[in-house]
This record gives sequence, C-alpha cells and structure tokens, in this order.
Amino acid sequence: MSTPNIRSLNKMDFLKVVPNRKQKILEAPATPLPPTSSYKANELAAALHPKCQHLLVADIIEHAKGVKSFILAPDKDSGTENLAYFSAGQYLSITLSVGNVVITRPYSLSSSPKESLEGKYMLTVKEVEDGLASRYILDTWEVGTKVTASGPLGEFTYEPLRDAKQIVGLAGGSGITPFRSLSKAIADGDEDADLTLIYGSRTKADALFQDEFQQIAASCSRFRLVNVLSEEPAEGCEQGFITSDLIRRYAPKTGECSLFVCGPQAMYNFVDKEIAALGLRRKFVRHELFSEYHNPGKDEDYPAGKDSMFRLTAVVCGEKKEMDCNANDSLLVTMEHNGIAVPAHCRSGICGWCHSRLVSGEVYIPESMEGRRLADFQFGYIHPCCTFPLSDVVIDVPPQNV
Amino acid sequence: MDISFDVIVVGAGNAGLVAAATTAKNGLKTLLLEKHNLPGGCATSFKRGRFEFEPSLHELASVGTAKNPDTVYRIFDGLGSKVDWRYEHNIFRAIVKGSGGYDVTLKAGIEAFCDSMEQAVPGCRASVHALLDLVKKDNEALAYITKKKGKPNGLTMMLRHGDFMRVASHSVEDVMKALGIPEKARNIISTYWGYLGVPTDELNAMHFLGMLNCYAVDGAAMPYKRSHELSLSLAKVILDAGGQIWYNNEVTEFLYKEDGAVCGVIANGRKLYAKEVISNVIPHNVFSMSDLKKIPDTDLKLANAREFGISVTTVYLGLDCTMEELGINDYTVFVMGDANPRKQYENRKRDGIYIVNCLNKVIPGSSPEGTCTMFFTIPLFGSDLPKDLEPKDYKKYKNGIALRYVTDYEQLMGISILPHVEEISVATPVTFARYLGTPEGTIYGYKLSGWDNLLSRISCEKEEYTIPGLSFCGGHAVRGDGYSSAYVTGDTVGKRVVSRIKGGN
Repeated sequence: MSTPNIRSLNKMDFLKVVPNRKQKILEAPATPLPPTSSYKANELAAALHPKCQHLLVADIIEHAKGVKSFILAPDKDSGTENLAYFSAGQYLSITLSVGNVVITRPYSLSSSPKESLEGKYMLTVKEVEDGLASRYILDTWEVGTKVTASGPLGEFTYEPLRDAKQIVGLAGGSGITPFRSLSKAIADGDEDADLTLIYGSRTKADALFQDEFQQIAASCSRFRLVNVLSEEPAEGCEQGFITSDLIRRYAPKTGECSLFVCGPQAMYNFVDKEIAALGLRRKFVRHELFSEYHNPGKDEDYPAGKDSMFRLTAVVCGEKKEMDCNANDSLLVTMEHNGIAVPAHCRSGICGWCHSRLVSGEVYIPESMEGRRLADFQFGYIHPCCTFPLSDVVIDVPPQNV
Repeated sequence: MDISFDVIVVGAGNAGLVAAATTAKNGLKTLLLEKHNLPGGCATSFKRGRFEFEPSLHELASVGTAKNPDTVYRIFDGLGSKVDWRYEHNIFRAIVKGSGGYDVTLKAGIEAFCDSMEQAVPGCRASVHALLDLVKKDNEALAYITKKKGKPNGLTMMLRHGDFMRVASHSVEDVMKALGIPEKARNIISTYWGYLGVPTDELNAMHFLGMLNCYAVDGAAMPYKRSHELSLSLAKVILDAGGQIWYNNEVTEFLYKEDGAVCGVIANGRKLYAKEVISNVIPHNVFSMSDLKKIPDTDLKLANAREFGISVTTVYLGLDCTMEELGINDYTVFVMGDANPRKQYENRKRDGIYIVNCLNKVIPGSSPEGTCTMFFTIPLFGSDLPKDLEPKDYKKYKNGIALRYVTDYEQLMGISILPHVEEISVATPVTFARYLGTPEGTIYGYKLSGWDNLLSRISCEKEEYTIPGLSFCGGHAVRGDGYSSAYVTGDTVGKRVVSRIKGGN
C-alpha cells in the first residue's frame, strides 16, 4: 500500500472546473425568475411584518366621554388584503395628517390576536390633555375613515421561555388596552399563561371593559380582575393605589410571577417604588414603553442656563430644511410640526426607527429614554424622538418612506 | 427632480459599505442607498432590555493585528476606519454527542492547532500539518495566476502548481482522505462546514483551507461594540469623504440605457442617475427589478441554475447571571448529533449541528455586570421551513426550536440556562428574509457547492454579469459567504469602478 499522498488526486480535474460550470449554465432555462415574494420565508415575512397596513374604520364604540374604541378592517381597495397577526401586547404606529403636519402615534392593540384573523383590529383611544393626536382621532375618525398603520410592533408580550407562567398585570388608565388583548388571547388558548390583572382607575366609571372582563373571568379560570379605585369606594373594588401590599395580596401564592406594567408616566413613578419593595429579579418585571417625553427642563440632570429657542437644520436625502425649535420639544416633534415626515414608531427612544445622525450641536437625552446602541454614542447617532436641543442643531434624518 | 452621481451603490451591507467608502474616498461623487434605517445588513446590532446583541457575526476571519495586518485589517485601515478589535485564540470546541462521540478544543496558531489535533487523534499530526501546508501552495499558485492577470501558462501550472490544481478541483473530504488524515480527525476539521452551509464532501478544498488557515493562523476577531461598530465606522468614511448615505430609500427599479448599460435606479419613486451602479443586492432581486430584455441570457440562465445558500435560525439570550456562574468557559462550541458532516447536514432540521457562542468570553464587558449573553445558531435553509407554517403559528414554531436547542445544551453541559433568561429573541429564515430581502432569507447568496464553487466563480468572473455599468458585490458574489469575503468583494469592485471612471476606460 502506498503512503497517502495528495498526488493520488487527479490534477487534470482542474481543467474540468470551468467547462463544467459553463455546461451547467448552458443547460439552465433563460426563463424569468420566480418572484422573491413566492418563497415561503419571504411570504411569511411579508404577512407578519408588513411595512404598512391600509385600514378602514369599520365601527366605533363610545365607552365614555373622550374614550372610544375603533374597530379597524383591512382596506382592500388600498391593497391590504389581510391584517398581520400579532402577539397580545403589541402596538400599531398610526400615521396621521393633521393639517400640514404628519405625525405618528403608537397605540396598543386592544383586540385579540385571533380577531385579526377575522379581519378585525381594535384600538382604544382616550383623550389626553393637549393630545394633538388623540383629539384628532376622537374628533374626526368615523366609519369609513382610511387609516395608515405600521405592522404590529413592540416587545410588551408574554414570552414563554422568559416569563413566569403566572402574570400579574398592573394597568393604569388607558394602559389597560394591551391587557384586554392578553386576557382574550389567554381565554382563546393562544397564550399558555395565567393573568391576574390589577387595574387602577380613579372611579368605577373610568374603568374600561368591565363587562367584557367579567365575562372572560366567568368563562376562563386563568383570568382574574382586581379593580383598584383611587377616588371612590365601590363594591368588589379595592380603594387606594397599587401598592406592594396589594400586589402581594393578589399575586399567586405559589410559584414565580412576572409583573407586566402599563400605564401613564405618573403611574410608573408610583408603582415602580412599590415593585422595588417586592425585591423581584429584573427579569420578572416588564414595562411597556413610557411614550412621549415632556418637559425635560424639570429633570435634575438638565443643564442650567440654556436658552429656550434654537435653530434646527434637518437634512433629508441631501436637502436642508431650517426651522425654529423649542428646547422643550423633541427634535422629532419640531420636525413634524414643520411638515417634515420623519420615521417614528415607539416615540420612546427604544425602537430605533428614527435613528439619525447628529451632525453638529449639543443635545439633551433623558436617561430613562436612552435606548441607543453602543456604537451610536461613538459615531454620534441619536433618536430624535427623545432628543432635545441645547444649541442650534444639524441632523441628518431619513425620510419616512411609508 | 433628477440627480446624478458618479457612483450609486445599492444596499449598505458589508460589501456595499466598503465599495461606497472606496469610491467616495477616491473622490467620486457617491450615493449609497439603503432600504432600512441602519447600515450593515447582517452587520448590525439590536437591543432588548439592557442587552445589546450581536446578530450574525461569530468570528471574523482574516483580520490580523496592527503589527501583522491581514486582509480585513488592511481594508479598514486603508479606508481610515478605526475598529476596536478583540481577539479569540481558541478556534472552537467541538462536541459530538452519544457513544463514539468526542469533545475537542482546538487552539489557534499553526503548531498549537496541530498539537490540539494530535491530542484528540494521536498520530494525525503530520497529515494535518500537510493539509495546512497546502495553503501555502495554494497561495503561491494564486499569486502566480494574479501576476499573469488570470491567464497562467498551462505548462507552468502543470509543472509547478500541480498540488494547487488538485486542491482547487477536489472536495475537502477527498483532499483529507488523500493525505491519509484519519476519519475522526477529518470529522473534527470538517466542523467548520457549519459556518458555510456546505458539507465537506461537496465543499471546495481550496475554499475551505483558505478559511481554516485564516482561523488557525490568526484566530478570530470581534468588534468591541458589536458589528454595528463596523458598519457605522465604514459609514463615517463615506460621509467624511463627501459621500451621501440615504437610508429608508428602497430601490424598486434599475434603469438601463438604449445600449443596455445600467444608468441609474429608482428609489422611493425618484430617478437617480450614475455612471456606474454597484449592487450589494443579490442578482435575483436586481433582475426582477429590471427590464428582462436587458439581461443577457447567460446571466438569467446562471440565476436559474443556482441554488440559494444557507440561512439560519438563531436564538439570542440575555441571562441574569455571569458565564462563570452558569458554568460556561468557551466562546464557540459546535454541537453535533453525529460525527459525520454529511449526516449533520442531512439531519439539520433535527439534531444535526448547532453553534453556541458566549461573547462575554471574548468581550467581558459586552453585557452589563452580573449578566452574560448566549447566541445559538442552527444552519437551515429557507426551504427547510415547514410548508404549512402559518403566521399564527410562527411564534410557537420559533419558540419550539429555541426550547429544543437550549434544553439540549443544558442537558449536554449539565448547566441551567432557562431560569436565567431575562431577554430572548429568536430569528429564523423569515427574519432574514424580512431584513435582508433575499429569496428564502439566504444570508450567503448562492450555495457554494459542486459546480458553483469558489474556484469556478473566480475563474468565470469575467464572463458573467457583463451588463455595462453594473457590478455586484456581497455574499452572493465571487468570494462567497462571510463578512471578510463580502468586504473583499466590496473592495475589489469599488477599486475597479474607481479605475474605470477615473481612468476613463
């Protein structure tokens, strides 16, 4: 037997490599290629993550003064055949043209994932003080109104490999909407979890979806509702605020729990201290995003002695636009109010959709809104949705491209 | 409004960034168009909670150091791009489960590599060394071919570069067998097929040995701030040189002149013109955005003849404990259900091969104090997705895969991962289809096997994709998969375009 040697391979095979390739190409058809959208992975990607969904208001439910739910259906004439499936807790970013201003707003889906398969989404909108978008929606949306939305977004979802199977939901005010979706998903058998929902409202009349929650609780043993009213006593309700004692009292007594928290900033300020007192590991406490940041000037770390008005230059695809900007408005809001359509989804500094380059100028970014990547700091990138000017500023911004 | 540039680069992936940086740096009026809001394609990062994850890079080959720069270092350095590189000196740990399995850790450095192989398979050292020695012969031959501008003298090749001809026209498995490398040693060396998506009995030996040698000599490098650092660093080169990058600009059409040359594109509904267009977008998608009458028959046939390359399913975990607390000691672990690479490939949907990385081993500060991250990679084709998978079942599908592999690794290593999961994200070929836009979510473009191997691509480069004014760079191009290959094609194509426009030919 000869010693092993590379020479046992035929070097003349080298001469076949090119003819072999040419032959293979010659044998192939010169027919048009199958469209990329026809492959399974691409088909699923398009169905799950549409860039844009064209919707129509199909029905409106008025809950109370200044609170309405809008049932949205696919606008087939505009090209949306089906609604994208989602996980309970996700939101849609809605694009609104208010006069000359194009703005976006994130709204949690309050309907169940299952209903999306039946061509139905629901968004619940509550009037916010000085809320440009909420007032516009409540005043102008009627049956038949066309609505432009993103695909489902956000991470405020139950993840079975991460979260405890026992969820304790803490909801304040309109922060109830993602929990309506989650409770229905659990009742539908689409999420394998238990939900104890602790819902803080001012009065019984302010508490939304009461009849529905009663029905779900009656038919599904995995769901339970605790109303907590701050301004009045009522039968079957706790009075006061969502304290650590109250959470302890209603949380399941055995096994681990995951806390899911959604509400206005004021609620987070209160409830976060109560949660801290529970001494839970970080993985067991999940917050929905804070949403728009206001009045940065009141922050302790806000630099003193700054002016309140500056000039902002926004460069979009090489074209410069100059405008005044107020130190209290985020760069995103300033651009929107000047008619520049800027990409934005979460408006909370997290999703990164508005990722832009700070060309020059000094800015303030609240610590709680800091969602940038490490290299963004090094190379000067910002999220305009939570960036406030401290001097004249020049930024390079991508177009909205809906 | 119509706008003209010297060069338009479509797609800000690794190769597109380097190509645009090269043309901009050389004074050409350059526009880089990217449909997403970030540069990099796969070379990016994403955040979940307090973790920032590396989405795709396992080990960057051919980097080298300031003292001993290799190809990638030279490309970045030449462009003036500064990257904070961190190095890993173990090549990998390979574990084959079950009876007859093994658990081997290979070290970087030619001699250290051979020593660790000898330790794993006594008596294999000389034959393994002979395998790595072939790389030198390959390089000599390739240098000669380059010197002869791709037209080497046949007799010189036959007399001087016979071994190169053998290596370049045979599979890894054939070459290793010819050298008498024992089966177990062949299997261990073959582990790297998992990065390429082509098992070693159909993978070109020249290609594989080039890659193996890079890792064996240099070890691997990682950017400190995830791949987002690489991409922003290249973006800075483009901007500093006066180039423009337009994000959220999706190209929907390639524009052709009467004579068949590409003269521009339509992005966001706007016509943009250039003397040359460089596409980081896969030819398949470019052709579907073109008037088919302008596409040469050969190119269309080539596209029809090719198979798509590998995609992956990946699981990213942010854990609320350190790697030491968890009991992890390695950066890269390959886990296989069978020792044979062909079986690993065939069983890829279940118990074939998967890779587990813990970036904290290379970059201790890559996650907050008291935490670590893990990154599971399972090579799979987009066509491996269940045919009946519906959107409503997708989350369950991907969580099912994640659970299966994480549990398998827990059992194998005797460690407890799941109770520490603070953040999780799971990506599949669907995710890659979403972000890359490639058919079947292919990451590497076209499968580098059989007739479409590296040698045949390089040999036929001048006769394929001959549309004037249009060049291709990226994983789908001549050099194939991986960050380093993409950077090289971006560099090559960028320089060619510079020479054509500046040299007027």
